Amino acid sequence: MSGSALILSAAVLLGAVGVYLAMPGSRLSLGRAALVLLLGAGAIMVGSVTRMLEANQQVWFALFAALGLWGAVRVVTHRRPVYSALYFILVVVAVTGMLVMMHAEFLAAAVLTIYAGAILVTYVFVIMLAQQGGDSAYDAHAREPLWGCLTGFLLLAVIANSLMEPATGSAAGAIELPASAAGTVQNVGISLLTTYVVGIELTGVLLLAAMVGAIAIARRRAGEDTAGEVD
Amino acid sequence: MLLPYVLVGAALFVLGLVGFVTRRNLIVMFLCTELMFQGIIVNLVAFGRYPLRGEPTLDGQIFSMFLLVVAASEAALGLALVVLLYRNKGTLDANAWTTLKDATA
Repeated sequence: MSGSALILSAAVLLGAVGVYLAMPGSRLSLGRAALVLLLGAGAIMVGSVTRMLEANQQVWFALFAALGLWGAVRVVTHRRPVYSALYFILVVVAVTGMLVMMHAEFLAAAVLTIYAGAILVTYVFVIMLAQQGGDSAYDAHAREPLWGCLTGFLLLAVIANSLMEPATGSAAGAIELPASAAGTVQNVGISLLTTYVVGIELTGVLLLAAMVGAIAIARRRAGEDTAGEVD
Repeated sequence: MLLPYVLVGAALFVLGLVGFVTRRNLIVMFLCTELMFQGIIVNLVAFGRYPLRGEPTLDGQIFSMFLLVVAASEAALGLALVVLLYRNKGTLDANAWTTLKDATA
């Protein structure tokens, strides 16, 4: 095991303990300790990983990675669903920044519009519909946080270690981007309407089916068995 | 450089996974699946931009776009189901819906 893999494993371990401590209703409710652990884990991970990038990308990558990971931790650990949804917007913004760094400009705009503009609004509406009162008991207590963190971060440790193997590491150097593979509207549009045109058609069918299904499900009255009787 | 992006994508995915397993609020569980989608989008685009062999292609971005469509459909249907479940029992607790579970367990 190389030195950088060891450092990353330590960061993953720190992060696992931090997320476990930050979970709502964990037996050791140490908010301050969890914060310190999470900040340490994030700093180690982002710092060790950022050094591999080219110099002109390091600052932005560190910023977006830190923002995204912090937002993700808050989505998972916040007691109130509305704040989880708002922190998720932070994750979307950070991911969008990374997509722009990888020259996927159109996809970045699409992700920001669809996630922050459409999907999150739906979530916030459902939260308003379904959860008026303040804190509820099931938000204040996580279900099996120890085992959940253990399994999840074990997976992350395995991924990180296998990524750090020399074969993968040396194969992934700096690669020049040809103009035909930049994510501009022109390139993406040509690709979507020639190579992937069947996929586009199927996508339309899927969206229509989802829309009809959502309307049919949501109009059903409570306690009613059949979906009919809509006027 | 591929590695930093893939690692951040993996971390986002794992955080979503942990949240999905541990949180009990149905809406937060669905939010965590969206978190996993974000990690996957980063991964797909990173592998398209920095392929292990050959030239960079747009395929990762196109796949991410299809993933967006699937995510939107999933959110619409999943949230419709959440609203329906809430109307039936008046709670968002996932533990309230254990009727399919073995009674002796």
